[in-house]
Amino acid sequence: MTTRDLVLAALFAAIIVALGLLPPITLGFIPVPITAQSLGVMLAGVVLGSKRGTVAVLLVLLLAAIGLPVLSGGRGGLAVFAAPTTGYLIGWVFAAFVTGYIAEHFVDRSQTGFVQGVNFFLAALIGGVAVLYAFGITYLALVTGLGFSKAFLGSLAFIPGDCFKAVIAALAGRAVMVGYPLLPQRA
Amino acid sequence: MKTLYVEGDSVLHRLPPRVKLLGLAAAGIALFFFRSIPPLAVAALISAAIYASLGIGLRHSLARLRPIFLTIAVVALFTLLVGSAEEAATVLLRLTSLMLLAAAVTATTGIGDFIDEITLAARPLERLGLVKAADIGLSIGLVIRFVPEILDRYRAIKDAHRARGLKPRILTLAVPLIILTLKNADEIAAAIDARGIRAQK
Repeated sequence: MTTRDLVLAALFAAIIVALGLLPPITLGFIPVPITAQSLGVMLAGVVLGSKRGTVAVLLVLLLAAIGLPVLSGGRGGLAVFAAPTTGYLIGWVFAAFVTGYIAEHFVDRSQTGFVQGVNFFLAALIGGVAVLYAFGITYLALVTGLGFSKAFLGSLAFIPGDCFKAVIAALAGRAVMVGYPLLPQRA
Repeated sequence: MKTLYVEGDSVLHRLPPRVKLLGLAAAGIALFFFRSIPPLAVAALISAAIYASLGIGLRHSLARLRPIFLTIAVVALFTLLVGSAEEAATVLLRLTSLMLLAAAVTATTGIGDFIDEITLAARPLERLGLVKAADIGLSIGLVIRFVPEILDRYRAIKDAHRARGLKPRILTLAVPLIILTLKNADEIAAAIDARGIRAQK
């Protein structure tokens, strides 16, 4: 990693922390309030790509683990890794990686804006929702002994909010790419 | 940013961080081998006693532990609804014990100690060429340094919206925030390299 890559990852980690300090917003059509922090994880992938995005998320988790209240709602310390929802935190790392990987490989400067947006959305949806919930639900099912179907049922309420975030991440990802492109482009 | 470390002179404060972390890991594994309620209840009592011995105070402890305890309680309640009372009690006791022990380690270990431990743990990875151990401390410092700055910038962008009579929306806030912040990266990277902090090839 060059110094610039390291700094970009650290700055993005700081953005994710800052997003966690914003109050959660409630949307009329979604039952649970949504926090902007997991949006930050998708954004790390679409803006920085797989490697730097993953490092940014790892840094946030590292800060939480060493006792800084950096997670949404002022959570932090090793205790957040002892919660039933720890799987989602572990999933963040892979969510950022997969989102970034798809964004790097399927979003191209030569595509039209609409196609770029759709590809960013798919990247955020597959990485930030499918991969994230795979980890979150598996962990919840194993740790609580609930079993997969019940753990899935319990997580269902959060999925619409996260799909909404994937739309925001796609729009923001494209806007940032137009304004200040950072994604390492690969064919 | 205020850390969750609490000043003190308890036995846990004086234990080396590595012993605490290994102990926590061992306790975490052990807790998943107990499946009946009595040993788990004993474990929860011991964990509570350890946490109480730090002298953090009830009100302050509640403020720290409430968000995580709420998640545990919600999951236990959900388990009670779809499963049995015994399963719910197991989940509640096991995760509460783990939460208390983890919170006790966090409250008694300073950030500097943690960073030293992590840097040491990263040495074997460094030999494999995967990470540079010294980068970990550097990046943690960078994040802590820039969070307040980003929050200021966020407020400024929000004010700019208001001044133009626009409704602040997550999208129109996030994009300028990301671009403005990441545009600093080159300068910061140049400053780090100019000081030879990463002393690299």
